[in-house]
Amino acid sequence: MFAQFFGSFLLHKGLVTAADLTQAFEEKKNTRMRLGVLAINAGLMTSEQVEHVNVTQQSVDKRFGDLCVELGYLTDSDVERLLSEQPTDYLLLGQTLVNSGVMSNADFESAIIEYKNENSLSNDDISGNQSDKLSKLISGFYHFDTAANARIYTEYTTLLFKDIIRFIGDDFTPLGSSIIHELEAPHIVKQAVTGAYNSITCVAADTAEYMAFAERFAKEEFTEVDDFVDATVGEFMNVNNGLFTVNESNEHGIELQLDPQEIHTDDKIVFENPAFLIPVSFSFGEVNFVISNG
Amino acid sequence: MGLESVKVMIADDSMFARKKLINFISSLGVAEVLEAADGEEAVEKYKASKPNVVFMDIVMPKKTGIEAVKEIIEFDPAAKVIMASSVGTQNHLRDAIMAGASDFIQKPISNDQIQKILENTAKEMK
Repeated sequence: MFAQFFGSFLLHKGLVTAADLTQAFEEKKNTRMRLGVLAINAGLMTSEQVEHVNVTQQSVDKRFGDLCVELGYLTDSDVERLLSEQPTDYLLLGQTLVNSGVMSNADFESAIIEYKNENSLSNDDISGNQSDKLSKLISGFYHFDTAANARIYTEYTTLLFKDIIRFIGDDFTPLGSSIIHELEAPHIVKQAVTGAYNSITCVAADTAEYMAFAERFAKEEFTEVDDFVDATVGEFMNVNNGLFTVNESNEHGIELQLDPQEIHTDDKIVFENPAFLIPVSFSFGEVNFVISNG
Repeated sequence: MGLESVKVMIADDSMFARKKLINFISSLGVAEVLEAADGEEAVEKYKASKPNVVFMDIVMPKKTGIEAVKEIIEFDPAAKVIMASSVGTQNHLRDAIMAGASDFIQKPISNDQIQKILENTAKEMK
């Protein structure tokens, strides 16, 4: 999930466009990591050194790693270790953007250093999907720390993104959130979570995006929004919220229930308490998620 | 006995959940797949057709899955009802087992889980 937030960071910094990210998420499945980007990410080489090796390689028939060792930038064991590590998603995204010329090695170097510093992330933190670091990243990104129930917002949103990756796909970019008091959209699925505390959750989208989201979850094609499409989006929400209630019960001893989902078409929902609007840009368009707790 | 002898009922208010389960279970070649969209319909259809195994959601209109299981077990103490819900909290799990459910599976349900349950049901019918 660090890849999606790294993508959002690059978008926010103006280093890439939404279209660049969409294409990169599509292409990264076939991307093979190169030693240069791996070494920059590990802080073992600068982008200038990588460029130097690239230029040198044009006149010498040697492998990139061998030249790095010859030029004293890396040791044999550095090369071996870097090449043996499983590439992480954010690195694959970065490599894809470098390969396609959207970013230079220097752009990648400054971006990855700034991104890690801003979020206090080490290479070890983002080599796996460490939950505590991920939660911290999400809480900071959405400024949940300003909310009264920061833990609930953070854990709900972290699970939501895990479920989006699991059931919809990883080709998305989280966009900045905003506080709303009402929500108007062509299609809204709403589900209340009740019990030890009360929350309202929603998925909202325009027609084309709503159908595309449902198609991903159902693994079927749809031509129009009908009851089945509504039920499909409703089931995504139900599964996500169900898993959230299980986590709350198991990890915090908090018992919650789910109300049946409500389908709202061309409607407006007014929230009693301020709600976080969490827009997500997928390759097929934007879908909004909402959580209001209180 | 084989799966061709097994009669299954799916009780879920989600049209999506019913369709996905029905499509998969039908593809396994079971004898019959019944469906119910709420707890009340589930009890009525159970009494009329006595399926060999029931997959029952919890949050449903008219009558919850827990209420429906209680009535089904009262009618047929040997009924095999598997709770299939997105809300697998300890409380729900306890309520379901106390109501007489045989097992509890957390949504999303994998096809493998369903197939194993159906194969076990067929074995138990010998």
